[in-house]
Amino acid sequence: MLARRLRRLARPRFPGSIAALLAAAALACGERPAERTGYEIDDFGAVVALGAPPARIVSLNPTTTEILFALGAGPRLVGRTHWDLYPDSARRVPDMGDGLRPNVEAVLAARPDLVVLYASEDNRAAARALREAGVGTVALKVDRIAHFRRATTLLGRLVGDSARARDVIDSVTRTLDRVRAATAAAPRTTVFWHVWDAPLMTVGGGSYMTELVDIAGGRNVYGHLAAVSPTVSIEDLLRRRPQVILAGAAGRERILGSAAWRAVPAVRAGRVLVADTALVGRPGVRLGEGAAHLARLLHPELAP
Amino acid sequence: MRALRFWLVGLASLLLLATLAVGVGAVPLGAGDVWRALLGAGDETTVAIVRALRLPRVALAALVGAGLGMSGAALQGTLRNALAEPYLLGVSGGAAVGAVLAVAAGVASEAGVPLAAFAGAGAAVAVVIAVARAAGGRADPRVLLMSGVIVGAFANAAIMILLADAAPNTVRGALWWMMGSVSGADWARVGWLALHLLLGGAGLLAWAREIDVLALGEEPAASLGLDVERSARRVYFLASLLAAATVAAAGLVGFVGLVVPHLARGGGLRGHRAILLGAALAGAALVVAADLVARVARAPAELPLGAVTALVGVPFFLVLLRRGERA
Amino acid sequence: MIAVRDLVVRYRGGGDAAVDGVSFTAPAGRVTAIAGPNGSGKSTIVRALLGRVPVAAGTAAVGAAETAPTSPRDRRALARELAVVTQREEPAFPMRVRDYVALGRYPHGSAWSAESAADRAAVARALERAGVAPLAARRTDELSGGEWQRARIARALAQEAAALVLDEPTTFLDVAHEMAVFELLAALAADGIAVLLVSHQLNLVARFADHIVLLHRGRVAAAGTPAEVMQGATLEAVYEWPLVVTRDPAVGAPALVPLRGRGRR
Repeated sequence: MLARRLRRLARPRFPGSIAALLAAAALACGERPAERTGYEIDDFGAVVALGAPPARIVSLNPTTTEILFALGAGPRLVGRTHWDLYPDSARRVPDMGDGLRPNVEAVLAARPDLVVLYASEDNRAAARALREAGVGTVALKVDRIAHFRRATTLLGRLVGDSARARDVIDSVTRTLDRVRAATAAAPRTTVFWHVWDAPLMTVGGGSYMTELVDIAGGRNVYGHLAAVSPTVSIEDLLRRRPQVILAGAAGRERILGSAAWRAVPAVRAGRVLVADTALVGRPGVRLGEGAAHLARLLHPELAP
Repeated sequence: MRALRFWLVGLASLLLLATLAVGVGAVPLGAGDVWRALLGAGDETTVAIVRALRLPRVALAALVGAGLGMSGAALQGTLRNALAEPYLLGVSGGAAVGAVLAVAAGVASEAGVPLAAFAGAGAAVAVVIAVARAAGGRADPRVLLMSGVIVGAFANAAIMILLADAAPNTVRGALWWMMGSVSGADWARVGWLALHLLLGGAGLLAWAREIDVLALGEEPAASLGLDVERSARRVYFLASLLAAATVAAAGLVGFVGLVVPHLARGGGLRGHRAILLGAALAGAALVVAADLVARVARAPAELPLGAVTALVGVPFFLVLLRRGERA
Repeated sequence: MIAVRDLVVRYRGGGDAAVDGVSFTAPAGRVTAIAGPNGSGKSTIVRALLGRVPVAAGTAAVGAAETAPTSPRDRRALARELAVVTQREEPAFPMRVRDYVALGRYPHGSAWSAESAADRAAVARALERAGVAPLAARRTDELSGGEWQRARIARALAQEAAALVLDEPTTFLDVAHEMAVFELLAALAADGIAVLLVSHQLNLVARFADHIVLLHRGRVAAAGTPAEVMQGATLEAVYEWPLVVTRDPAVGAPALVPLRGRGRR
């Protein structure tokens, strides 16, 4: 199926089935350290050609920016979104504005040879425009922890340092496993994660945040919903009786100031906790720290 | 008598719908549980659902409908136009601008967005009346309507500009508000709206006879000794006050103020005192019903209230057109 | 009675005065008619009486009340002295004829008061007088043109004012209904009401009016009894059309007969 896709998408420059077979072989055997020809398929189903490592990268997503810095490609970044603030050195990278429907002209003005986008429908037009301008473009989903692993692997290949990519992934995985083991024996704390209240939105099973809650010894009461951020009603939330409500700082203020929320037992019991958005706001290189942070919130009785 | 039938059916419908609305929701509850919860007994969560969530919500929905119905009836009579509705004089546009600004500014307090919406509505109405006066309209309905359209268009443009490069959360919050909802209901909000309804409604009812006279036309009304400009301005102010209060409490809920006065008039009510009350009753019943549908049609998610009322309004008007409304 | 003295009215936007120094009185118990070509200022005088146009100079008074009321009390006082049936009226929403006529009682109550026995009696009298009592329960949108006109007169009568002004009350009416309205007006005058009538139905005016004021471009061209005013030379000058004045065969009142246009068949 993958090969079929490759054949369909193959550019005239790399004619026919030979290239397709080579690409399939490359993917199937895992990368070779010095392999610089071949393809990747990004999350828009587009082909990304692997040429020389890019020297000027624009990353329009906080997760991928973090990953690129962790891969040592930070000095090569010439553009980021307004919200990419980790690590600190990211602040020196020029701010290109929004990661959704980015200003294509501003991106092109930085003369990048690689642009990394979030694979949302909003960005299809931008991706197409950048490709037509001859700039290598990669669109990546970053909703789940598996997406983090894939993104790190793919970006590692692109920048030519797959070994470091493996190290990053392993380090995060080790921390996650440690946290999971530490909370395995404790009783699950039921959690509601407040994202927005007009309308009332939470995180569902499609989000890495549900996975983090699970690793941290909790259970998202809306984990059974497949969407990433489904809309629910407060009445339904009452029925599910979460023991803890996680929210951002502003969200917590709104909850505590609202008369309707006082009907929720967790609010009355004072168990509205602030989750550090810097750590858990994206499935980036600090996933492990994020899980540990959540574990301390949900299970303060366990030693950190 | 037709009028008597209207009142009986109206009151019965409202009571029935209110009962249904308290008993039915995203969480299935038995009738006995609901009854006990109303009295404050039984499982704590059920009590919370019934008393803290559903009851204020139903109350707010009824008040919103009553306010919109009265406002629409008063404006239709004064402007002598069967298609007049509460948001005519810039209320919806101004309120939306106020609300979007508040959402964009990240106002945290519960009363923030409603108050901003209220202020925006007031400012817009003032502008509409000023523009009409500058155009020499005095109380000429057509000039006023045109002025309302102009201010509304300007407000729409402002909202589009504000939302064009706003953060996704701002856009989502603003859109949600503009689609109308009573989900933020609590007793404080109910009390606030009840107070405004009392003030505005009492005023309109007190001067209802003037609306009867205004409905004859400018010159006939003047010949009967009515100060047409002052009287009309009074109605515009009170009707807009009611509309702005409902918008502050529940966002934009369309069609109610347009449709319900026709029901009241068609129900054989004579004189605007009766028509205003009848429209209030019918409006309350309609919005309570709409909110019920909004809560259960796609549980656990909620439909926007404005969407449900629009869905009701469209077929209603088709029926009205076919029957050849003589208004 | 209605007394107009040296009235001058100018509309906004300049131009000649619509009413340029008009004086006349409409005494109680008489039918006074204002006649003249289109644009001669007839309806403007009615509006001035209503206080709907600004008066540049001169006065208009109805009984003791001034026609430039400023306070709500003054307005209602004026409405108790002066009832006006305007040229056209169409209620936006249909209502029962009885309720419509009852609105004529507005100047007698306040905005809050309910209907009193006196009100009910006045309404009944008005319906009777205007000949629309059998139509009391019908809806206004179900009436014929003639019935609607009489319903409007009934509403004016419910005001129980000493003066009644009607602006072109017989447009759109056929001959039978026209006669009925004019006969009603004559009867009302006989009852003591000061009836002021604006009409371009010169022949009927000549039969029923006691006094005619003929306007031409905002000024009084002639005033007096029908016999005095209906002179061929005067009317030709005012209406700018060849005509002759003859006597009608019914009651011998002066009657205007327009001749064929110049140079045409």
